Amino acid sequence: MTEEQRIDSILLADCGTVMTKAVLLEQVAGQYRFVAQGETPTTAEYPWSDVAAGIHHAVERISEATGRHFFDTSGNLISPELAGGQGVGMFAATVSASQPLQVVLAGLVRDLSVASAERAAAGTYSLVKAILANDGREGGLSGEERVRTILDAAPDVICIAGGIEDGAVTPVLELVETVALACSMMDTSVRPRLLYAGNSRLRQRVVNIVGGQADLRVADNVRPTLTEENLLSTQAELDTLYVQDKMGLLPGIDAVSGWSPAPPTPTAHALGRLVQYLWHLGDPSRGVLGVDVGAANTTVAAVFDGQPCLAIRGDLGITFGGEQLLQERGAKTITRWLPEPMNSDEARGLLINKEMRPVSIQQEPRELWLEQALAREAIRMTLEVARPGWKPGAARPYSHLLPLCDTIVVSGGILAHAPRPGQAALIALDSLEPIGVSTLVLDAYGLAPALGSVAAVKPLAAVEALDSGVLVNLATVVTPVGHARRGDLILKVRVTYDDGSTFSVEVHYGDLEVLPLLPGQQAVLELRPLRHFDVGLGGPGKAGKRRVSGGLVGLIIDARGRPLRFPRAPKQCQLQMRQWLWDMGG
Amino acid sequence: MYYPFETRVTPLTSVRHKRTLPAPGEVFARVGDRVEPTQVVARVNLPGDFRVLPVARLLGVPISQVRRHLRVSLGDEVRQGQVVARRRGLIARSVKSPIDGAVTASGGGRILIEAQPTTFDLRAYVYGTVSNVLEHYGVVIETMGAVIQGVWGAGGESLGVIKCMVKSPDQPLRGKAIDPSCHGTVLVGGAGLNEGALERAQELQVRGIVVGGLAPELISQVKELPFPVIVTEGIGTVPMSMPIFRLLATNDGREASISGQVQPRWDIVRPEIVIPLPAETLPPAQTQPGTPLAVGTPVRMARAPYMGAVGTVVALPAHPRRIETGARVRGAEVDLGQGAPIFVPLANLEVLR
Repeated sequence: MTEEQRIDSILLADCGTVMTKAVLLEQVAGQYRFVAQGETPTTAEYPWSDVAAGIHHAVERISEATGRHFFDTSGNLISPELAGGQGVGMFAATVSASQPLQVVLAGLVRDLSVASAERAAAGTYSLVKAILANDGREGGLSGEERVRTILDAAPDVICIAGGIEDGAVTPVLELVETVALACSMMDTSVRPRLLYAGNSRLRQRVVNIVGGQADLRVADNVRPTLTEENLLSTQAELDTLYVQDKMGLLPGIDAVSGWSPAPPTPTAHALGRLVQYLWHLGDPSRGVLGVDVGAANTTVAAVFDGQPCLAIRGDLGITFGGEQLLQERGAKTITRWLPEPMNSDEARGLLINKEMRPVSIQQEPRELWLEQALAREAIRMTLEVARPGWKPGAARPYSHLLPLCDTIVVSGGILAHAPRPGQAALIALDSLEPIGVSTLVLDAYGLAPALGSVAAVKPLAAVEALDSGVLVNLATVVTPVGHARRGDLILKVRVTYDDGSTFSVEVHYGDLEVLPLLPGQQAVLELRPLRHFDVGLGGPGKAGKRRVSGGLVGLIIDARGRPLRFPRAPKQCQLQMRQWLWDMGG
Repeated sequence: MYYPFETRVTPLTSVRHKRTLPAPGEVFARVGDRVEPTQVVARVNLPGDFRVLPVARLLGVPISQVRRHLRVSLGDEVRQGQVVARRRGLIARSVKSPIDGAVTASGGGRILIEAQPTTFDLRAYVYGTVSNVLEHYGVVIETMGAVIQGVWGAGGESLGVIKCMVKSPDQPLRGKAIDPSCHGTVLVGGAGLNEGALERAQELQVRGIVVGGLAPELISQVKELPFPVIVTEGIGTVPMSMPIFRLLATNDGREASISGQVQPRWDIVRPEIVIPLPAETLPPAQTQPGTPLAVGTPVRMARAPYMGAVGTVVALPAHPRRIETGARVRGAEVDLGQGAPIFVPLANLEVLR
C-alpha cells in the first residue's frame, strides 16, 4: 500500500444552479485550516456561458483576501502548488448547475416495480415527468394515451421496470412495445434513451422489440422479487446518463475537469459520499444524515445500519420550485412556519420575484421567513421520498420517525446564510424532526460535499480536512420521544462541563430550550427521562450519559413532541412560531 | 470584484435573435435576406393526431394471426371509417380507422394510424437581416434598435405600436383609460394595472401590455390573455424604473416586437421589447457584458424595499454590513438621487445595460 502524498493546500469549488462557491484550505501546523472563501453568481448563462468563469470569479475573491494567484495567464489552474506559494496542491469541484434528467417511468405495479424505479431515479438529479403503470393506478390509460403521455413528456430517458424474475411476461412486453412505438413517432434527434430494468429473462425479447427505435440500455431488475429491491444498477445507469448527457453539456465543464485528477462530481453524490465517510467515523449503531437545500434541488443523503441512501428532489429548491411547492402543498402548509400573517397571493408574488432574480437575497424579514419556510417544506417533501428507502434496523426504533442519527449535516445557502445560527438549527429541527441525541453540523461554506470528491482520490486529505472549519457544529440536540400533556415534566438533564461545573434542568413537554455549550466546549449530559420517554439511550424510560460537544447555538432540548403539532388557528401558529424563534435566538 | 446580474435596457444596440423550429424542418431565409416580423422564415411539419388500434383485441384473434386479417399495409393512406382489419366467419368483426391518416407502424397486435402532420410556421418576429442560417432549424436575425428586457412575462410574441398610457412611472394602468384608439397597440402602464384594464384591453384587442409591477392575484388571469404582458420590475405594485419608462415614452408611436415568453433557468429566456430603429452605426457601449461592478455604475435594485429604484454606486465597502434581516452581507452604497446613499446587498443590484 503506497502512502498518500501530503497536499499543502486544497481548493474546493461548487457550481450550483445560482451561486458558485470556492474555499481554500491550507495545512497549518499539520492540520488543514480554512483560509478564505468566495461566492459569486454561476456563469452557465449569457454573457459568460462558461461555468469555469464563475469559478474564476469566486477564486478571485480568495486571491483578493490572500494575495495568492491560482490561475496562470492562460486561465489554467496552477496545480500542484509552486514554490512561491502560487497555485494550489489539489482542486476538487462539485456541480449541480446542470438540468436534471427528464424521466418517464413505466412498470407493472405502481407500488412495487414502479415505486422501486422511482426510488432509483431519486438517486440522481432527475425529474419524473410521467409514470405509466399497468395496474390502472394512472387511470387505466389505453396504449394510445400512454404513447401520448410519453410524447408530451418528451423525456431524456424512459426507464422500464416490471416483472419479478420468472414473473409476468406479456404485460412487460406490451409495455415495451408501447414505449418503442412512442419512440418511433419521435424525431431521431429528440428520441429518448431506454433503460430496461425489469425481468431479466426478457432482455433479449426487449432488445428485439426495441430494435433500432432507440438507444437501449439494460440494468439489473429493480424489483427481482416482491420483497426485494435492487436499485444500484439502475441508479448507476441513470447517474452515467446524467453525467454524460446533462453535466457533460454544461458550457465550460471540460476546462474544470482538466484542473483536477478527480472529475467534477454531482453535488448530491459528493454529499452522499461525505455522509458515508462520517458514518464510518462514528457510532455504527446510529445513522448519519446529510441535507442539502439548493436553489433548484433538495437532497437527503443517509447511512443507517451501513446502508447508504440518496434521495434528490430535482424540482424543489429555494429559488426554483417555490411556486410549485405552494401549489402542491397549499399555501397554509408553507405559511404555518411564518411568525407573521401572509396570504397565498403575497407568498406567490414573493416566490416568483425570487425565481426571476435568483441571485438576489431577502432584505426584509418577511421574505426571509418565507424562504426559510420553503426550506422546511422542501426538506420534509424530500424526506418523504427518502423514507421508504430506509430499511428497518437498530437505528430505526420508530418507523414513522427519523432514525437515530449521530450526526446531521445541513447544507445550502438558506442555512449557511441564515442571519442567526438559531434560525438554521430551527429549520433543521422543524423539517427533520430528529429523535434522541444528535449533533447538528452546518456546512458553513456550502463546500463540504466537495470533500467527498477529494475523498475519491485523496482519502486521508479528506478526513483531515473535515476538521478545517468547513463543517461547523451548530448544536447538540436532545429530543425525547413519547406522549404527555403540555407542561408535564418529561426529562431531567444534568450538564457537567469539563471544568467540573454543573447545572441541572427540568424539561417539560412542549418546551424548546437552549442551554449554554459553546463551540469547542465539551460536556457530559446525564439524561433521566420520565413518563416512559425515549431519549435514544436504549429505549423508552432508559437513562444514561452522553459526552457531547458545543456549537454555535449550544445544547438544544427539543421537547415539542414528535411529530410536531400545529394549532389550527393561523394566529396561534404565528404565535407559536414566534415563540420557537425566540427560544432559539432566531 | 462582483459581477452583477444584467438587464438590457438600451436605446440603441445591435440585437441578435436566434429563431429556431421545435424540430428539424425547412429554412426559407438565406443569409443577407431582409425580413419582416410576420415573414415565415422556416417551416416544419409536426406530428398530428394519431390512434393506436389494438386490432388483435378488437378482432378477438391472437397477435400472431393479426397480419392475415389486416386490409391495409404499412404506408397506406386511410380515410375515417375505412375498414383496416376484418375477421370473417361466424363471429365476423371489423376494425375501422377513426381518423384520416396513414398507417405508420404495426406490431404487437396493434397498428398506428397517424393523421396528416400540422404545419408550424416560424416567423421572423423582428425587422432585420438574416446573419446566419442554422441548417434545418432556423435563422439568426440581426437588427438595430432599442431593447428592454422584462423580469416576468406571459403570452407569446406580438407586434404593435407603443402607446404610453400614463404620465409617470408610478401611475397604474386603469381600465377607464383604455379607449378604442388602443386597438392594435402595445400599452405602457406604470406601477401596475387593475382587473378592469385587463378586461378592457382584451375587448379592444390590444397587442400587448408593459407594466412595472403586477398584483399577484392577477397572474392567473394574465396567463390566459391572448396577448403578451411584460412586467419590467416584479410582482407587486412596483413603479416602472425611470430609465425603462423614459425609453418607452420616447418611443411612443413606434412599432415594437414584444415577447412575454419567460424561462428563468437553463437557456434563460426573458420577456422583451424590441423597437427597431434606423441606424447605420452604434454608439460605443458604456459597459461590456460581464463587467465587474464599480463605483459610478448605474444600478437598479432587485428586491424590496427598493425594488425598481435606480441609482448610482457611490461606494463599495470592503466589509460586510448588517441588513434588516440581521444578515451580514457585502454590499454597495447607492445614491438614489434623494437623501443619503443607501446600503444594498451586492446580490440585489442589477446593471441596466
